[in-house]
Amino acid sequence: MNQYAHPEMLVTTDWVNERLNDPKVKLVEIDVDTQAYEAGHIPGSVGFNWQTQLQDQVVRDIISKEDFEQLLGESGIEKDDTVIAYGDNNNWFAAYGLWIFKIYGHADVRLMDGGRLKWLNEDDKELVTTPTEVTPTTYRASDADESLRAFLVDAMEVSKSGSENLVDVRSPDEFTGKILAPPGLPETCQRGGHIPGAKNVPWVTAVAEDGTFKSVEELRKIYIEDQGVTPDKPTIAYCRIGERSSHTWFALKYLLGLENVRNYDGSWTEYGNLVNAPVEK
Amino acid sequence: MSTATVGGPIPNSGTSAHLARVYNDIFEMLPNVDNPSPMVRINRLNPVKSFQLFAKLEWLNPLGSVKDRAAWQMIRDLEERGELGDGRGIVEPTSGNTGISLAALAGARGYHTRAVVPNKVPKEKKILLKIFGAELDVVNDALCPAPGLGDGSINLAKTHAKASRDKYAMPNQYENQKNVEAHLQTTGPEIWKQTEGKVTHVFTSLGTCGTVTGLSRYLKEKDANIRIYAVQPTEGHDVPGLRNISQLAASKLFDPSLIDEILEIDYELAYTRALELCQKEGLMAGPSSGLIFEGAMRILERERKGCGVMIFCDNIFKYASNMAHHLKHLGEGLDPR
Repeated sequence: MNQYAHPEMLVTTDWVNERLNDPKVKLVEIDVDTQAYEAGHIPGSVGFNWQTQLQDQVVRDIISKEDFEQLLGESGIEKDDTVIAYGDNNNWFAAYGLWIFKIYGHADVRLMDGGRLKWLNEDDKELVTTPTEVTPTTYRASDADESLRAFLVDAMEVSKSGSENLVDVRSPDEFTGKILAPPGLPETCQRGGHIPGAKNVPWVTAVAEDGTFKSVEELRKIYIEDQGVTPDKPTIAYCRIGERSSHTWFALKYLLGLENVRNYDGSWTEYGNLVNAPVEK
Repeated sequence: MSTATVGGPIPNSGTSAHLARVYNDIFEMLPNVDNPSPMVRINRLNPVKSFQLFAKLEWLNPLGSVKDRAAWQMIRDLEERGELGDGRGIVEPTSGNTGISLAALAGARGYHTRAVVPNKVPKEKKILLKIFGAELDVVNDALCPAPGLGDGSINLAKTHAKASRDKYAMPNQYENQKNVEAHLQTTGPEIWKQTEGKVTHVFTSLGTCGTVTGLSRYLKEKDANIRIYAVQPTEGHDVPGLRNISQLAASKLFDPSLIDEILEIDYELAYTRALELCQKEGLMAGPSSGLIFEGAMRILERERKGCGVMIFCDNIFKYASNMAHHLKHLGEGLDPR
């Protein structure tokens, strides 16, 4: 088999370019830095800020079902639309958004392979600054599907029992505790290191030089053969704040087709602040 | 050509104009082999007297840095290709110096500039960009960069250039061969002439790599034995404008075949060495010059004999707050007791 387990989940920039006028295909750019969207976006796309629009602004949590319904309604998205997520930083935040779309039961949401950088570097692709005109909808989301999400108790239990694969997708220096966070970011954990029993497979190992995902053979070799992320048991992926692990969650679940993969979005900024929690370096 | 005098006819350019130091405009002041940036010998800080060491003071260029050279070549090229004018200006990713040179030179030609800078760039440079009329975008530095994916400022500048073609042309110093040509045509020949062909070692830093690639191509053509050293800060550094080897994927102008040795220096030494140059040589050297000086010292100790030239990119004035951040005593005692 040389095809992704769910090939429909990943679309190419050309695929998107051919459907810019399709009213049932909705493009959503999800960035950490929305300056990029404002400077130029794919015609017809709406822009989400992952921090202010996809997360609860009071409690540390993902956006509520009601707020998700309002956001999608205001963005002109209907329940039966094909949503294409793309964004900066190699689609980390787009993958995080896709994860939330899936949690709230949006059936057809896909990722544009290579993100906004690939689109930017292709001469035949257009970017515009004109605001996208939206016809608001009434969007009804499903109740949150918690099977896609791991919480602290799950991570701790798995660390203890070894009953699931635990994948830390941060850089090796974060994994070993040499640094608390990537350079330049505020350090938001008290201790460096990783959850005992976790395997370190940095997110970047899943992508080629141009930011697109590697082939299924390469992914299988990296995750299953070399790193022992075995398909016979469930998997939890984590990072620092849950966005890089969304990227790996996507690769494991939809490209490799592992059955039960959860994203632990609390990640190291939760675990690394706990009093008395076991830490490996 | 006669020597220019104020009140009399001012010649267009040329050696005699430089002797008189009277110019028609800022463009005539830009460096070239007839008007080289000065070179000054290192005295008190050179422990190896059999090795002559000179600093080439790029901060004495009109806009205060080595980047005047590339900025001017890139603007001229865009003009010649009809890319500027009619409301179309420049957008460029920059850690400051290129942006300052571009904004000032473009402003003097009547074009607007938008500069996209990483957040870690010192505040002084951000304000200077605005002083010279640049519109500013400040982007967060790459969070967890991967090879080949570029960085935020380059990608945002490319986005402006693509989405607002009517407003912006992007010189793109990281890929523009004019950046290399600037040093092939000016820095290299200047060093050759100023040392009367005696130069044996050149020390420079790595940013866009235009400087090292251009001057090395020229000087190695003149004398294949001239050794070119590139000095780079250790990973995780905050020396503005410089790149660690792991960050060089961003520059298409990097040609390792033109560099004899890359010296990796603990970036904290950039600040301590800059301070020494200020205090013991009277040279207002910025942190990148400090780093280059440290690299040169290591080669001097090893080789003991030669004639070295260091490219001192810019002066200390833009880095006062950076210096005080790294050398705590500089920030102390500044308020009344």
